[in-house]
Amino acid sequence: MAGREAVKRAVQQVRPILSVDREEARKRALNLYKAWYRQIPYIVMDYDIPMSIEQCRSKLREEFVKHRQVTDIRVIDMLVIKGQMELKETVEIWKQKGHIMRYWKESQDPKPTDFLSKFIQGVN
Amino acid sequence: MAKFLGINRLGRLFQAIREAGGLKQAYLKLYRNDDLKTGKLIGIDKYGNRYFENPYYFYGRNRWVEYSPHVNMDYDGSQIPAEWYGWMHYKTDLPPIRDGCRPKHKWIADHSENLSGTKEAYMPYSTTPPKVEAWNPNKK
Amino acid sequence: MIRAPLVKALGALGSPTHQIASRAVRTSAVLAQTPAKAPEKIEVFVDDIPVMVLPGTTVLQAAAEVGVEIPRFCYHERLAVAGNCRMCLVEVEKSPKPVAACAMPVMKGWRIKTNSDLTRKAREGVMEFLLMNHPLDCPICDQGGECDLQDQAMAFGSDRSRFTDINYTGKRAVEDKDIGPLVKTVMTRCIHCTRCVRFASEIAGVDDLGTTGRGNDMQIGTYVEKLFLTELSGNVIDLCPVGALTNKPYSFVARPWEIRKVDSIDVLDAVGSNIVVSTRTNEVLRILPRENEDVNEEWLADKSRFACDGLKRQRLVAPMVRMPNGELQAVEWEGALIAVAKALQKAKGQVAGIAGQLADVEAMVALKDLVNRLDGELLVTEQDFIKGSGIEVRSSYLLNSTIAGLEQADAVLLVGTNPRYEAPLVNTRLRKAYVHNELQIASIGPKIDLSYQHNNLGADPNLVKDVCNGSHAFSKVLEGAKKPAIIIGVDVLERPDGAAIHATISEYCQKLKKPDWNPFNVLHNSASQVGAFDVGYQPGIQAVLQAQPKVLFLLNADAGKVTRDQLPKDCFVVYIGSHGDNGASIADAVLPGAAYTEKQAIYVNTEGRPQQTLPGVSPPGMAREDWKILRALSEVVGKPLAYDNLDELRARLESLAPHLTRLGELQPASGGESVAKPSISISSTPIDVKQKELRDYFMTDAISRASPTMAKCISAVNKQQRQDEARSCAAV
Repeated sequence: MAGREAVKRAVQQVRPILSVDREEARKRALNLYKAWYRQIPYIVMDYDIPMSIEQCRSKLREEFVKHRQVTDIRVIDMLVIKGQMELKETVEIWKQKGHIMRYWKESQDPKPTDFLSKFIQGVN
Repeated sequence: MAKFLGINRLGRLFQAIREAGGLKQAYLKLYRNDDLKTGKLIGIDKYGNRYFENPYYFYGRNRWVEYSPHVNMDYDGSQIPAEWYGWMHYKTDLPPIRDGCRPKHKWIADHSENLSGTKEAYMPYSTTPPKVEAWNPNKK
Repeated sequence: MIRAPLVKALGALGSPTHQIASRAVRTSAVLAQTPAKAPEKIEVFVDDIPVMVLPGTTVLQAAAEVGVEIPRFCYHERLAVAGNCRMCLVEVEKSPKPVAACAMPVMKGWRIKTNSDLTRKAREGVMEFLLMNHPLDCPICDQGGECDLQDQAMAFGSDRSRFTDINYTGKRAVEDKDIGPLVKTVMTRCIHCTRCVRFASEIAGVDDLGTTGRGNDMQIGTYVEKLFLTELSGNVIDLCPVGALTNKPYSFVARPWEIRKVDSIDVLDAVGSNIVVSTRTNEVLRILPRENEDVNEEWLADKSRFACDGLKRQRLVAPMVRMPNGELQAVEWEGALIAVAKALQKAKGQVAGIAGQLADVEAMVALKDLVNRLDGELLVTEQDFIKGSGIEVRSSYLLNSTIAGLEQADAVLLVGTNPRYEAPLVNTRLRKAYVHNELQIASIGPKIDLSYQHNNLGADPNLVKDVCNGSHAFSKVLEGAKKPAIIIGVDVLERPDGAAIHATISEYCQKLKKPDWNPFNVLHNSASQVGAFDVGYQPGIQAVLQAQPKVLFLLNADAGKVTRDQLPKDCFVVYIGSHGDNGASIADAVLPGAAYTEKQAIYVNTEGRPQQTLPGVSPPGMAREDWKILRALSEVVGKPLAYDNLDELRARLESLAPHLTRLGELQPASGGESVAKPSISISSTPIDVKQKELRDYFMTDAISRASPTMAKCISAVNKQQRQDEARSCAAV
């Protein structure tokens, strides 16, 4: 038993979530991108958000590019699953306008990082 | 026949325009009140609001008020004082100018309109003392 | 050998409780003296577990050694044994009756049964008798939730009541006593454990409390109507196992399960007592002592315990800047920092800093670094000390014998100090040594009441010279002692001839020195002083006043020694601190800092022990931690300090003085001091101390001056004095 564990650790074999290789993961990500891309006009219409289709598409691209450096297949799969859940929630109108607008996060100020602004705002 | 064609209504419109004092005045009245009616002036309260009645209109629309001109577009239902409130809401048919037995006491406060949204609006405040008492440099 | 202190103690404790007290001395003396040749240990069995103990050990102590805790009310480790609550009854094999474990010394081969049927029955019976006359007012009792009687009634009491008197005729009721503004009494709840009586007469040294009556009519009280006023009165609240004595300012405030407890350090005197800060909803509710054998045992002085309501008054909650019309006005942080920065840029290096009584080490280091980066040099403490090379050697400003060490001293000379009020917990150590260790104490200074007998040599400072050149009678005592100690008060060192007195005494101490004993002691009374010297501050404000700086930082400096008239007209005074007091009222810019319950900061006590406070609540309003204010200011000036968080600052601290970050540890100061003899000689102005009486004790710093409870204490002392005078007039 212990030997098997050691072997497992040595070859770093992990159980895949969905994709078995990089190519498959890439396909899944692209499919998700396309699905979102096609849905965007309907989302803009249904939710009546003050954003144009182009703005939404650039935001979609931004959200995907944010995870560009991810190489672990399992992580990619997980992100794709989460993206699908998001898409489903959006298309089925389980969300509300505010949830969609949260992608632009206009109401949130970034937290200060340097000492002086932290001091003046009184955050640690 | 004239009734059937609604010509009598046209006549009423002309009457209303005449009573308003010309086409321009009628337009302004319509703009301000969203309505142009003819009726009998029942009374004027001390704030300058004018109260009308015309039983020709259906119950509920047969009594109306034209607010005092100085409030301009900022009129509000709460500008109707208490004595006219009853008449406006059909609690009584006797308008206050004709009702002799209304109580008039010295201590009755002057009517004030709803001040919400203005500077004088009531703002609730905490009555609990603060946990930390701050130093006041100007004391003593 | 044992009788001698007993007789002496009886002289001091001439009270009706002397029987208790004499027992106290006997057992404590047995415990205190570790015998030269260890007597043979004897074997006893506690619940069939064999344990070897010294002869004279009580049953309760033997049980504690194997980890069996016997319930008790009257027994307390630091007090004499009274043996009157009977809760600790245990069965001993072949003994006809159960024995009181706290008072009975073990015999060889005893088999003690702490959980037998007889023991349990005895406990149940005792508990039933105690509860028979104890009111059922736990829901409105302040002790509820931390009550020994509650806990032990649950653990050892009977599961049903035989109390059938529903007509309210039977329960004992006792009138409440007014014993002062600090301790609330509900005497009906008293179970007559006499812990408070023993504490008052043994530890505090005031025989104000005692018992009257016997049996069911026994009462604890002050005989005549009198306030229980001592600097240690708060400790009877902790000692009381029931709710008879409770904290008056804290009454009906909170329950123990609602509060959060934070371990911290007290800074209102230089002892550095370990405390627990109880907080709820961002508010300090009370302060309790935390056990530390090396510092405060488990006691706490009243100022430290009750001045915590001063943390909620007179606070600085927003930065303030003095406007052209001469009034301080609250501004935002940006505005205040820029105003100070402008003044600093104009000053061109003419910058100085004064650290006050409550300044922490971190803030002092940050201030020092900031002033140095602005090409300033002058950094001083508000409390004066000897000038020149006196503070270069660390042991010349420390309490070198250590607080715990003073317990073993056998001859002590106090020079111009009143430890009873300057450091009450050092005084309890001296009193302990006096009672148990035949300590001989002499003092040079005004006649004061130290709560034990001492020989007042007079107030003439030339007596110091006489003692130190061996011509005085007390020199013989000091020189013959195994562990002599000389304690100098800071009030003496403030004098113009302080350096001469310091040098004379430290030279003499070289002679008295023992291999592991340094007799030279300085008793500070401000918590910041030792830390300030450790990081390189100079004592005394005269240097700053002479230099006429353009910008002067006051870091918690509230003693009122600096006044506006002494400073040049264009001097910009920046006050950094927590309370609006003398410092803030003369400042041009007030930057609100955190009090000691609101920051993580290091303080070094009078024996040189660095300890840290921990934040229990957050600073009020816009107040910030003191070192952060200085760090922010440095950035606005354009010369940022090299640390952004506490860890980096601590690293800087360590590079400056490595011992400061070894929290709780005492770094033995190197003893080879030979201070150069100063040119001035000792003058003949009589030595005086600032805190002579109890009323001088309560308000000594910004926090206690803001405390309403401390104000009540002072008026209570004054009232008591007026009453005493009236009474003595009537007697005449």
